[in-house]
Amino acid sequence: MSIQPTPGPPPGQGRGGDRPPETPEEPPGGAPQREAGPAAPTLRPARPRWRETLSLLAHNPTAAIASVLLLLIVVVAFFDDTLAPQGANEISVADRLQPPSWEHPFGTDDLGRDILSRVILGASVSLRVGFLAVGFALVVGTLIGLLAGYYGRWVDDVLMRFMDMLFAFPAVLLAIAVLAVRGPGSGNTALAIGIVYTPIFARVTRASVLGVREEVYVRASRSVGASDWRILTRHILPNAAPPIIVQTSISLAFAVLAEAALSFLGLGTQPPNPSWGLMLAEGRGFIELAWWLAFFPGMAIFLTVLCFNLLGDGLRDVLDPRQRTQMAGSSRAAATETGGEA
Amino acid sequence: MGDVLVSARGLEVHFPVRGGGKGGGVLRAVDGVDLDVLRGETLGLVGESGCGKSTLGNALLRLVPPTGGTVTFDGTDVTSLDRRGLKEMRRRAGMVFQDPFASLDPRRTVAQTVSEPLEVHGLRSGRRERAARVAELLELVGLDPAVAGRYPHEFSGGQRQRVGIARALAGEPDFLVCDEAIASLDVSVQAQVLNLLRRLQRQLGLTLLFVSHDLSAVRHISDRIAVMYLGRIVEIGPAAAVGADPQMPYTQALLSAVPVPHPAKERARERIVLRGDVPSPSAVPSGCRFRTRCPYVFEPCDDVDPALQPAGAPGQLAACHLHGVEGTPVTETPEGVTADP
Ligand SMILES: Nc1ncnc2c1ncn2[C@@H]1O[C@H](COP(=O)(O)OP(=O)(O)OP(=O)(O)O)[C@@H](O)[C@H]1O
Ligand code: SF4
Ligand SMILES: [Mg+2]
Repeated sequence: MSIQPTPGPPPGQGRGGDRPPETPEEPPGGAPQREAGPAAPTLRPARPRWRETLSLLAHNPTAAIASVLLLLIVVVAFFDDTLAPQGANEISVADRLQPPSWEHPFGTDDLGRDILSRVILGASVSLRVGFLAVGFALVVGTLIGLLAGYYGRWVDDVLMRFMDMLFAFPAVLLAIAVLAVRGPGSGNTALAIGIVYTPIFARVTRASVLGVREEVYVRASRSVGASDWRILTRHILPNAAPPIIVQTSISLAFAVLAEAALSFLGLGTQPPNPSWGLMLAEGRGFIELAWWLAFFPGMAIFLTVLCFNLLGDGLRDVLDPRQRTQMAGSSRAAATETGGEA
Repeated sequence: MGDVLVSARGLEVHFPVRGGGKGGGVLRAVDGVDLDVLRGETLGLVGESGCGKSTLGNALLRLVPPTGGTVTFDGTDVTSLDRRGLKEMRRRAGMVFQDPFASLDPRRTVAQTVSEPLEVHGLRSGRRERAARVAELLELVGLDPAVAGRYPHEFSGGQRQRVGIARALAGEPDFLVCDEAIASLDVSVQAQVLNLLRRLQRQLGLTLLFVSHDLSAVRHISDRIAVMYLGRIVEIGPAAAVGADPQMPYTQALLSAVPVPHPAKERARERIVLRGDVPSPSAVPSGCRFRTRCPYVFEPCDDVDPALQPAGAPGQLAACHLHGVEGTPVTETPEGVTADP
């Protein structure tokens, strides 16, 4: 496969008549000043890296399946009101603790509420908390990691010691502390989980930035007068992104799990709102009598967490620096082989 | 021609090194460099690997902060520039890096890379004007403007280096530091990129500092040559003079290692084989820094640091006591210096 661009030299170009006389060392006319066009035509069009990443991901079966399932879950969460056969809190005492049936595919709970509907409606709660939490951790943690890694010295010391302090706290304790101060509810749950994950993003980002910071192209950018902000946003962040993206996917899995755990403990989402963790907690008492109360929300958690993790693994494979280098290496080899400058 | 564009006086870049005592030592990458780069000239800077050439080139552009001395660029003191002044200076002075595979951001297209200086300095307003200028620049360095949308990994080394040169030229600089700009390219490509640089230098009236570890490569393209050893310029002068009749023993040794393309002369060529290795820049010898390897070492060399002084052809300077002991005593040897016993 040739990845060569084809700069076919138009006649007269490169040694334009309006230019001053060439030096004797420059080969006359024949040998082109302009880079000679590579022998092979271009087979691969230029395309941005993220599209390359997507297509690689599509060729990774587990990651592809996980992505499709996640997309499905997100769509369900988004259209939960339309998709749920019943309201979350439509109580029907006559239908209490019904096992799965055509009418109630996931059965009903002790108040006769349709579990399928509650699982669907709970998806949006779980995912919203997960995305909010990881969004918070991603933005704050990445910013902290960027600044710490790029500026180093005291900026690094101050920011990372602070992150270490947060990190040293047991996660559940920290979340409980946040919720104790701000009160329960899904917004605060997201905040609590977000704070817990911030140091992880800060660390991952910082480590990645430390590598990119020393790259020659960063110095090259500085040499043409680019500001720190420009260097950070245009060069360092894009090149430091792969591990951050992987971390995002894996953190989403943990955030969904954490939301369930906190709700299970009664600190997260409050009844009667549907949340997978809360449903799990409520179904716990009936586990021998009516397994479906806990089983379906549990499966929803399991599936979502699994998919985020598998996607994270797939992304890691695709974005793995070594794999990238191998690819770059092969194209580099191809480039030198067919290099037309000889 | 004739007037000074870039000038260094007593320029020092010392890096702290870990270990070696509580205070830690210093690595003297650049250690008291006096250098004038004349407007419009090509100055070759040669020296062995690790002698501080890159650090000097970077320090002249303030890409590495000097720890001592001054650098002036077109009359203004570079070391005390404010943010805005520094930015303008970086428009007027560019750098071409050694490794074209490392110096281009892999996630940015050629157009994005080349137009960065335009955006940073607001040189062309509007997307279309910038794109036109990028096309112009690509053509100037001998690339098809149609490649603007491509990513660096799609190019060969020589093509990438042309992109790097286009980026360095985008701000319409007066001064270009080429740090081993052709060293990592295929031999066949080296001549092409070298010729490109020469053409650009003439066409655009650039002042070039051409850094290389290879004296023979620099000899043909430079107006003057400066030779660096352990962080110091030890000889400087017209390329013909330094290349044919060097006055400093180190340059003589460097030159004697260059094969002569003439069988009879090649046989007659005397090789000066230096003894020992280059001392570490964190333990620079007292007196003449070359004395540990110099075949001519004599008494003043141990204590007196030789200064650059006229030697050989007009305009040629060498730092060696063989041309008269007029050096300044070094601070490292405070126990009295007998310059003239
Ligand atoms: N940022 C730094 N921190 C510490 N030491 C450095 C740093 N940069 C360079 N050095 C040291 O300074 C000395 C001079 O390095 P420099 O890169 O300037 O040499 P050079 O002449 O360009 O060599 P080469 O031909 O290998 O490129 C070397 O000993 C190097 O290890
Ligand atoms: S000063 Fe002495 S040691 Fe240094 S180069 Fe001259 S003769 Fe050799
Ligand atoms: Mg170097």
